[in-house]
Amino acid sequence: MSTQKTIARLLLPVAVVALTGIFLMPHAIGQSGAAAKPSTKNGEWPFYTADEKGTKYSPLDQINGSNFNKLEVAWRFKTDNLGPRPEFKLEGTPLMVKGVLYATGGTRRSVVALDAATGEVLWTHSFREGKRAAMSPRQLSGRGVAYWTDGKGDDRIVYVTTGYRMIQLHAKDGSMVSSFGKDGVLDLKVGMVTGVDKQIDLETGEVGLHSTPLIAGDVVIVGSAFKEGMTVSTHNNTKGMVRAFDVHTGKPLWAFRTIPRKGEFGYDTWENGSADSNGNAGVWTQMTVDLEAGLVYLPVESPTSDYYGGERPGDNLFGESLVCVDLKTGIRKWHFQIVHHPIWDYDLSSAPILADINVDGKAIKAVALPSKESFLYVFDRITGKPVWPIEERAVPQSDVPGEKTAKTQPFPTKPPAYGRNFFNVPDDLIDFTPEMRSTARDQIARYKTGPMFLPPLIGDPAKFLGAINLGNASGGTNWPGAGYDPENHIVYAQANQSAVTPITLRTPPAGFSDIKMVMGRNDTDFRVAEGPGYGSAADYPQPKRTVPAAGGRGGAGGRGAQGGNPLQVQGLSIIKPPYGVVSAVNLDKGTLQWKVPYGETPDNIRNHPALKGLNLGNTGQGGSVGLLVTKTLVVLGDSQVTTTDQHPRGAMLRAHDKNTGKELGAVWMPAPQSGSPMTYSVNGKQYIIVSVSGGAYSGEYIAYALPDAN
Amino acid sequence: MNKRLFVPIALGALFASYAVVRAQSPSKSVWDGVYTEEQAAKGKELYSTHCSSCHSDSMEGGEMAPALAGGGFSSNWAGLTAADLFDRIRNTMPLNTPGKLSREINANILAYIFKFNAFPAGSVELSQRSEYLKDIRIDASKK
Repeated sequence: MSTQKTIARLLLPVAVVALTGIFLMPHAIGQSGAAAKPSTKNGEWPFYTADEKGTKYSPLDQINGSNFNKLEVAWRFKTDNLGPRPEFKLEGTPLMVKGVLYATGGTRRSVVALDAATGEVLWTHSFREGKRAAMSPRQLSGRGVAYWTDGKGDDRIVYVTTGYRMIQLHAKDGSMVSSFGKDGVLDLKVGMVTGVDKQIDLETGEVGLHSTPLIAGDVVIVGSAFKEGMTVSTHNNTKGMVRAFDVHTGKPLWAFRTIPRKGEFGYDTWENGSADSNGNAGVWTQMTVDLEAGLVYLPVESPTSDYYGGERPGDNLFGESLVCVDLKTGIRKWHFQIVHHPIWDYDLSSAPILADINVDGKAIKAVALPSKESFLYVFDRITGKPVWPIEERAVPQSDVPGEKTAKTQPFPTKPPAYGRNFFNVPDDLIDFTPEMRSTARDQIARYKTGPMFLPPLIGDPAKFLGAINLGNASGGTNWPGAGYDPENHIVYAQANQSAVTPITLRTPPAGFSDIKMVMGRNDTDFRVAEGPGYGSAADYPQPKRTVPAAGGRGGAGGRGAQGGNPLQVQGLSIIKPPYGVVSAVNLDKGTLQWKVPYGETPDNIRNHPALKGLNLGNTGQGGSVGLLVTKTLVVLGDSQVTTTDQHPRGAMLRAHDKNTGKELGAVWMPAPQSGSPMTYSVNGKQYIIVSVSGGAYSGEYIAYALPDAN
Repeated sequence: MNKRLFVPIALGALFASYAVVRAQSPSKSVWDGVYTEEQAAKGKELYSTHCSSCHSDSMEGGEMAPALAGGGFSSNWAGLTAADLFDRIRNTMPLNTPGKLSREINANILAYIFKFNAFPAGSVELSQRSEYLKDIRIDASKK
């Protein structure tokens, strides 16, 4: 293990000169000396979500609806060599402070500092972790870094490595801050536990993190993330925790356990003492903080496993709950459980947005939570009381052996859902042609359909192949979150409306797991749903794992090769468009201000032989992307590549009118948007940066700006 | 510049650019029968061993793994060549041992991916050579 400074010795004098130049130049507009607090008001972007309130809002307006089409590439930064192989899923959003950009990139999750005006590399840093990184459940370059300053020249970059270490770097040159942790490194695995306070293995123990640390004054707060929960080998995996540390030294300040210990509040929501033997419930997305009130907002994900809760009867606090804790102590102030006894993978996916709103003439300090369910859950952020009633309504019950579903689930009465959150059959079936609708009717009958919270079932080809839900794993608003304009009190959110998820359970093969049910069907081969955390990292080739044989049918059993996927009709999704939307929700009124299709009609629809000559309008695209809110625009890019009469093969970064949703302009990208866009101004010029990648196109940060000459 | 000199240079440049265009314009499509049934059958077993745990049996993909069938697949790959996809697989997959599968294995897996996407089989095996695969264009639908 070693740190690696990659400024070549020969280039060092040049870099030093360049660095000196950078810091002598008054890059950031409105910058009034070293003591100024980094802020979007200065044209900076000092947090992953622009600010600590999660808004993704910048007041810049040089780039606007009248000139968006004139944007051109100012510079680009390819991340291929920031790791042993290129990355094809770059999800980062850079920070910009004092004319310098800070971002993560590459399969090693390196940190880079770039000149914000030119993209020139100022320094890079990477940390080699070997097997520890290889076993991490969160691979690749993550979402980015955090920035801390004492306002007197001590400026630091903070990030979490693939192997779950927190590292601090001097912002000026990327060297490690020796006074933090041990030589700049804090081992975050220390203190992470399974069962009843059993320390996890420091090398192979299951925990990682993609999101950036949250800086709250002199406190740095980090969450935790775990493996995918479809076919878990144990329900007793690592327990979720959110922890705060002194930003100067790394000294632990507090820990909030998302699965309570005996004697703690919420323990009795795990029947039979099952809190002692279940894990997960991490906080894998961004958190936010109200510095004035001293309150931190934690969006907690599902406990193990995603689709079966038979090993943990009860409501399972604080699984899928929004928890508000005291910034100084970590003590819970209030909480609201969004889903009781979670078995739909409705992880709380998005940064809670802090919004000061006015409802019926009353000023409310609110927190608004975007979700995979496409509901915006809005609370008074000091008291936790819902701004508009959230009703407990009866929901369908499970008949899976061992499963005990909650009788009711919370439904917001206002604002209305900003995206589709259940599959309304037959209305939502594909209807491009009568034949397609007819086929869709026949095929959907093989699945159980119904309202939200349709519980998973035992898959049986003679009955149902699965229970259809929308929004679960990849629907609604996912990790990129939403945005908010603090001036007009409107939340802007993109939502995937076409994530049709057939949930089905089966018994795992003997010896595979201590959980009674895993995802799959008993009539097909058992297959572990692998992903990160199974030894798939930068520099650690793993021997082939053995999976107990299930007996019976051999081969991959591909549905496409064996008569087609019943959730597709002639190669198209069985659900009708729009496949994705962008919406504006007025938080003063609790109303939907506008909703428009997101993205461009995909090529497989535009060029479909059965649809020739039909005017389908804009179907929009599926997928989850983040957005950026400026003085006048909502900016977000396509998640899919298209080729049209208007543009060559590529994806478009689009600007929507904040007031109407109307598209005002678009600029070409060589690949889909894969991370949330950000904006900043340097030397009087506004830039928009977006990370793109996917398919054959490896990760790249692209900076767009207006041409200098008119 | 001397005009007499300019003409041959210009013609040469024109020819060179034509040659480049020729080299970059595939003459075949995945709809022209570019793999064999036998090859896809071998590829099915190999896909099961090396790919399906992340990309799923139905090729729908997962959290970190892109879809290899349907709209997600055509969005990523339509308009590119079989070589682009072959080399992406060959250089970066499987994640735990990138670059360790032979060209033959990768070609067989790619044949199975083509079959799964309902591209028709033919009488000639899918090549293991990237430069040959550049001659096969991936189209979402038959043109």
